[in-house]
Amino acid sequence: MTGDLVAAAKLIGAGLSMIGALGGGVGIGLSVQGALTGMARNPDASGNLLVYMILGIAFSEAIAIYCLVIAFLMLFVL
Amino acid sequence: MENKRKWRWGVNRWFVFAAMALAIVGASIFPAVSPHIQVAPEALTEHPLFTLPVIGEFIPTNTLVAVLLVDVILITMALLVRKATRSGELVPKGISGAVEALIEGLYNLTESTAGKWAKSIFPWFATITLMVLFANWLELIPGVDSIGILHQTQHGYPLIQLSQGIAAIVRGEAAAGEAFNVIPYVRVPSTDLNFTVSLAIISVVMTQVIGLRAQGPRYLSKFFNVTTIFKKPGLGLMDLLVSILELISEFSKVLSFSFRLFGNIFAGSVLLFLVGSILPAGAVWMQSGILLFEFFIGLIQAVVFGMLTMVFMSMATHGHGDEEHAEA
Repeated sequence: MTGDLVAAAKLIGAGLSMIGALGGGVGIGLSVQGALTGMARNPDASGNLLVYMILGIAFSEAIAIYCLVIAFLMLFVL
Repeated sequence: MENKRKWRWGVNRWFVFAAMALAIVGASIFPAVSPHIQVAPEALTEHPLFTLPVIGEFIPTNTLVAVLLVDVILITMALLVRKATRSGELVPKGISGAVEALIEGLYNLTESTAGKWAKSIFPWFATITLMVLFANWLELIPGVDSIGILHQTQHGYPLIQLSQGIAAIVRGEAAAGEAFNVIPYVRVPSTDLNFTVSLAIISVVMTQVIGLRAQGPRYLSKFFNVTTIFKKPGLGLMDLLVSILELISEFSKVLSFSFRLFGNIFAGSVLLFLVGSILPAGAVWMQSGILLFEFFIGLIQAVVFGMLTMVFMSMATHGHGDEEHAEA
């Protein structure tokens, strides 16, 4: 294969791999929504909820970051 | 606190403005090169230092230097606190006060989750959290990942001589045979899979050890559940299959632990360099935003790693079959 085709495939692959960030976005949105609903009902619990919300965000964000790593690896290392 | 400190923003803001102006001028004179990204840590020497019989060749890498740096920081902190507690002063101040507040917070968190097993779980939790925290925050220090040995490669950058013995690579096309790249002396340890996988293995193996100590041989029935297979053969077989799944999930914990930390910090350190090289010189302050973001990512990932270790360990101390045994 010639170089140009491989370069194009790398770019397309990096773009496609970032589709996975969709799931991370949905996950972060859901966890913030749940935490905000809880905080609105019981403002006293907001300090506790914030910690668990950030933990949940970190977990769902990790999935999106896997995609980012794969995209970086496709663009620069492969 | 009678004598309030004077409001120093009037002076300090000029330092901030000067630093920003210097960054913009510097970035327009010497534009940042796009980074050379490599998953494996770079070796600092050409040849291995020595060869061990079973394990293999010992090659010093730049992440190893960083791990030693983190160790030195932690041990210095511990010695300072030890000196302060030995001195007999009841009210800790300075670094020992800060460390005491930190340790107390972590210990209360462990005690609320693990109960009476907090004493044996806490050291693992606190050590892993602090180690990963300092390892992650190493990437915020200027010079880490950017000061190092110049190395001749094919896809490199031209060289300029700054002063005697000090040179830098700048953006542009290099002549053939004169292209260089930097091998940094210190690279963030969390961007090396060796570091994250070994921490994950330590965490998972010690979870088993603490589970065995807490529950005795009964802990093994979590992975090979034959307790119910004779009483009710149909459902007992199902229990056996579920417990084997539990065994597999224990191995997948190593994977998820290590790749979560590796992915976050690796992506962060690549991002820090990419933003500098992609953006025009007037937008170097964007890099400061990424730096602030990385500060939180490093903190959150360290807390997540430690908290998960702690939660898994405290889950191992009380098996899920406890309620049934209480009835029988």
